[in-house]
Amino acid sequence: MIRFEKVTKRYAGPGRPALDQVTLDIDKGEFVYLVGQSGSGKSTALRLVLRELRPTTGRLYVAGKEINRMAGWKVPRLRREIGTVFQDFRLLPNKTVAENVAFAQQVIGKSHKEISKAVPATLELVGLKDKADRMPDELSGGEQQRVAVARAYVNRPMILIADEPTGNLDPQTSVGIMNLLGDINQTGTTVVMATHDHGIVDQFTKRVIELENGKVVRDEAAGSYGFQHLDNQQED
Amino acid sequence: MQLRHVFSELRIGLRRNLTMHLAVVVTLFVSLTLAGIGILVRSEAGKAVDELGNELQIRVNLCTEDDPSLRRGTANCASGEVTAAQKERIEQELDSSPEVESFEFETKQQSFDTAYEQAKRKDRGYLFEGEGAVVSVEQWPAAYWVTLESPDEADGVISAVEGLDGVASILDQRDAMKQIFGIMTVLKYGSWIGSGFLLFAALLQVANTIRLAALARRREIGIMRLVGASTLFIALPFLLEALVTAIVGVGLAAGALAAFQYWGVEQGMAERVTFLPWVGWSDYVDALIGTFPPGIVLLGPALTLIPTLLLTRKYVKV
Repeated sequence: MIRFEKVTKRYAGPGRPALDQVTLDIDKGEFVYLVGQSGSGKSTALRLVLRELRPTTGRLYVAGKEINRMAGWKVPRLRREIGTVFQDFRLLPNKTVAENVAFAQQVIGKSHKEISKAVPATLELVGLKDKADRMPDELSGGEQQRVAVARAYVNRPMILIADEPTGNLDPQTSVGIMNLLGDINQTGTTVVMATHDHGIVDQFTKRVIELENGKVVRDEAAGSYGFQHLDNQQED
Repeated sequence: MQLRHVFSELRIGLRRNLTMHLAVVVTLFVSLTLAGIGILVRSEAGKAVDELGNELQIRVNLCTEDDPSLRRGTANCASGEVTAAQKERIEQELDSSPEVESFEFETKQQSFDTAYEQAKRKDRGYLFEGEGAVVSVEQWPAAYWVTLESPDEADGVISAVEGLDGVASILDQRDAMKQIFGIMTVLKYGSWIGSGFLLFAALLQVANTIRLAALARRREIGIMRLVGASTLFIALPFLLEALVTAIVGVGLAAGALAAFQYWGVEQGMAERVTFLPWVGWSDYVDALIGTFPPGIVLLGPALTLIPTLLLTRKYVKV
C-alpha cells in the first residue's frame, strides 16, 4: 500500500537530510505506528505520502502508484485515497459537525444524495450521531477529534494518516480515539499513525517503525514505544 | 460539481471582501471607460481620415464639363471634362515629384457621395437629391488624393500640378487636419495612458484581494487540498469573485460610454462640429466587443481573471 525505496528528502540549506535512504513497506490493512523524537523525520514521511513534498531521491509508491513522478493534476485523485487526521483537529469553526464532515465530500464533487447518506452513517460510526448539529466549539477535545476522524474517513479512503491524533487529548479520551482508529483499521483501511504517546503504543500493540535522524532504526511487528523513551523516564 | 457549495462560497467571499471588491469595481469602471473613450477617439480619427484625408494629404480636383474655375478666369479647364491624356500628364507629374509618397484616384461618384454625406450632416442633403437638387454627379469633380512624404513639404508638387491642363483646383487642408489630429492623438493616448495606470492599480487590487481571501480561507483551502479537491474547484470561488467584479466594472463602463456617445458625441459635438463625420453606435459596439484594440468587454474580464488564475496558483498551491 505504501512503499519507500531508498527515499531521501533533503530540505534547502545545509545539514543532514530529513529522511535518509529510508526503505519500508506497509501492506494493505496494516496498522503502523511511526515513532521517534521531534525532528526524526516522521512528519516529513507523512507529507511525502500525501505528496505535499517530493523525495529528493528514491522512489515512493502509494496506493499502487509511483507518486514521486506523478503529474500535479493527478495529485487530488491520489489524496482522495488518503484520509488525514491532525493533532489540532483542524475543523472549520463556522460549520456544524455534520457540515464539517460533508465539506470533505462537497469539495470533491459528491452529489447531495451521496452526502446525505454517507455523513450520518459516518457520524454514527464515530459515535456523534446525536451531535450532528453542534458547532465544534461546543464539543470536547475528544469529540472534536472524532469529527476530524469522521471527516477523514467519510470518503472511505484506502489509507488513513494520523499525525499525533492523541497529542492534545487526555489518556482516557485517547483510548476512545484509538478504539475508533482500530475499528476503521478493521474495515481494511491502512492506518499510519505518527505519535509520541508511549502509553498508547504500549497498550495497543501494533507494528512500530522508529525513525531517528531520518533513518529507520527499528521495525517491529508488535513493538513497544522503545527503550530510548524508558531511559529518558528513568532520568526524570 | 457542487454548484451550491461554489455559489455559497462566492457569496461569502464577496461579502467578506466587500470594500476591496468595491475598490476594484471603481478602478475598473474608470479605467475601462477611459480605454473605451480612447477606442472611440481612434475610430473617430479613422473616420475623419477616410472622409477628409489626413495631415499628409492634399486633394487635386480635376476639371468637369463647364467647370466653375472657368468663371474665375483660369484656363486649365478650357477643354472641358478632364481627358485621359491630361490625367496621364498629371500622374506623370505626381510620380516624378520627390514630395509625393503615393496618390490615389477618386471617381466622380465617390467624390459626390462623400460630399453628399457631409451635406446631409448639415441638413443640406436636399441640394444633392430629389426635386430640388442643384448639383449632380456629372458636375462633381473626380480627384487625386495625394499623400505626401512629409506634412511640411508640398510647395513643389502644388506648383508643378497647379498649372496643368485638367486640374481645376487644389484642396490643401493640412493645417486644419494637423490641429484636429493633434487633439485626437492627445485624447487617444491620454486616455489610454490614464487607463493603463488605473488598470495597473486594478491589477494590484485584484492581487491584494486574492491574498486576503486566501488568508481568510487558508484552513478551508488546506482541508480542500488534503481531501483531494481539484485545483479548479479550489480556485473557482476566487475566479467567480473576479468575474463578478469584472462584470460590474464593465457594465458601469459600458453605461458611461453610452452616456458619452449620446450626450457627448451625438447631442454635443456632432451638433456643433458638422464638417467632421462622427462616431456612431456601431463604433460604440466596437469599443465594447471589438477585437483590435480589444473592447472593454474582453479587456475587463481578461485583466481580472488572468491575474486571479496566476495568483491563485501561487497562493493556493496544491
